[in-house]
Amino acid sequence: MIKIMNKISCLFSLFKCHLIIARASLAIAVLMLAATIGMMQPVMAHDHTRAATDHIATMIHSANSLLQADSGDLETRTTEVTRLMDRYFDFPSITRFSAGQYWRSATDEQKREYEAVIREVIIGTVVRNFDKLSGFEYSHGSSLAKGEKLVLVSGKFTDMTGTRPLVSVNWRVTTLPNKPPKVLDIEIENISMLVTQKQENIAVIRKNKGDFGSLIKAMQEKMAK
Amino acid sequence: MRHSLAQFSGKPPSGCRSVFVTFLGGALLFLAGCTAIPESQRSDMRDVYEPINRKIFAFNMGLDTYVLEPAAKGYRDYVHESGKKIINNHVNWAGMPSTAINSTLQGKFENAGLATINFLVNGLTLGFGDLVEDDMSIKKENFGQTLAAANVPEGSYLMVPVMGPRTTRSLAGNVVDMVLNPMGVLAAGSGAQAVNSLRTPVAVVDIRARNFDTFNDVKYNSIDPYSRIRSVFYQSQSRTFGDTEPLGVGESDSDDEFDTFFESE
Repeated sequence: MIKIMNKISCLFSLFKCHLIIARASLAIAVLMLAATIGMMQPVMAHDHTRAATDHIATMIHSANSLLQADSGDLETRTTEVTRLMDRYFDFPSITRFSAGQYWRSATDEQKREYEAVIREVIIGTVVRNFDKLSGFEYSHGSSLAKGEKLVLVSGKFTDMTGTRPLVSVNWRVTTLPNKPPKVLDIEIENISMLVTQKQENIAVIRKNKGDFGSLIKAMQEKMAK
Repeated sequence: MRHSLAQFSGKPPSGCRSVFVTFLGGALLFLAGCTAIPESQRSDMRDVYEPINRKIFAFNMGLDTYVLEPAAKGYRDYVHESGKKIINNHVNWAGMPSTAINSTLQGKFENAGLATINFLVNGLTLGFGDLVEDDMSIKKENFGQTLAAANVPEGSYLMVPVMGPRTTRSLAGNVVDMVLNPMGVLAAGSGAQAVNSLRTPVAVVDIRARNFDTFNDVKYNSIDPYSRIRSVFYQSQSRTFGDTEPLGVGESDSDDEFDTFFESE
């Protein structure tokens, strides 16, 4: 009887020992998994920060090439700037952001019309001011991930002739899942171009008692002039 | 863009002091008598006097079209760069007493000391020459910033005739700056009085000329220049009260707008 008791006790000890080992293994596995995920997150953030920074560098290179080839012909410039902006700018996000809360209540037709006109307005602004970038040299400052969908890339434009002051720029670059990085906003000396556009748009809509169509009409009329 | 529309929100240089003090005081009293419009009628919640502000803006734009824009164009096209630099030096120098006083009030004694030294040294040339050559390290301060540092609320958005956008706080700051600025006393009864009187209009033309194309783009190509200028003014205000230094990455007030946007996406 004692022998049986000893065997049972021995088996129980063995079982306890196995349980401790199993628990320890599980804990180690969990720790290793957590460590791997913990290590992966900064790597992933680093990846999309790097992608956004590279995106700006490539865009600046393309813009410089365009500036060098620019003959001043408005039609050619408009075509080239449109191509450049379509390649590097996130127009769908720009469209939704600039319409503010009124985007959700807009009809499908209004959304289509607005999408076309805001794109025309933004490209028109860049075309009008494009030659002002001539003579500036861009230098990258730093990049900061703001969550998984947005990276802020900062830099400076230095006038090579020394007559114009240094210009600080922040680029907001979207890094959406399964999509290439694209520019959402340009902030010059801490004044956001997109926030300015949005606040102007909202002011026009509010002045017209919340009618989104009135903004589209005002924009279309302005573009027609 | 460093000298952008934001500069129209800054403290005007001293000069024509009594006229301006009376004018600004009158503007404050006039606005105190205006009635705030209901929220439903505002295109921006901060703009409580929007109808009267828009009328003043239309007046300012008319003045710009017939006086300021042609003057700025002439200044831009015909005044040599070295001449513009001399004028700019003088305008900056004239603001040094105000910077020294307001830096002291805010406890920024190093900045106050630098502004005082700059004022005394460059005073040898009446501020037209820059003998210090390190005035970039001096952060301009005005009484509006002193009030902000003391957590005085910014108040309502105001469009002031001739001067452009302000808040109640920054307008009150302008009045105090003009009263406190010793430039008027120093120049009284001397040959410098003429320079003192000319400083403000020349400075306004200089700022308009430096922002000629940017301002014209807003003026002629915006669907609503009034609200665009208001937006730029408020964004530049947050920079001004952040000690005039451009904010770093991720420090902009606009970030909140983008955070909200991505949360709702």
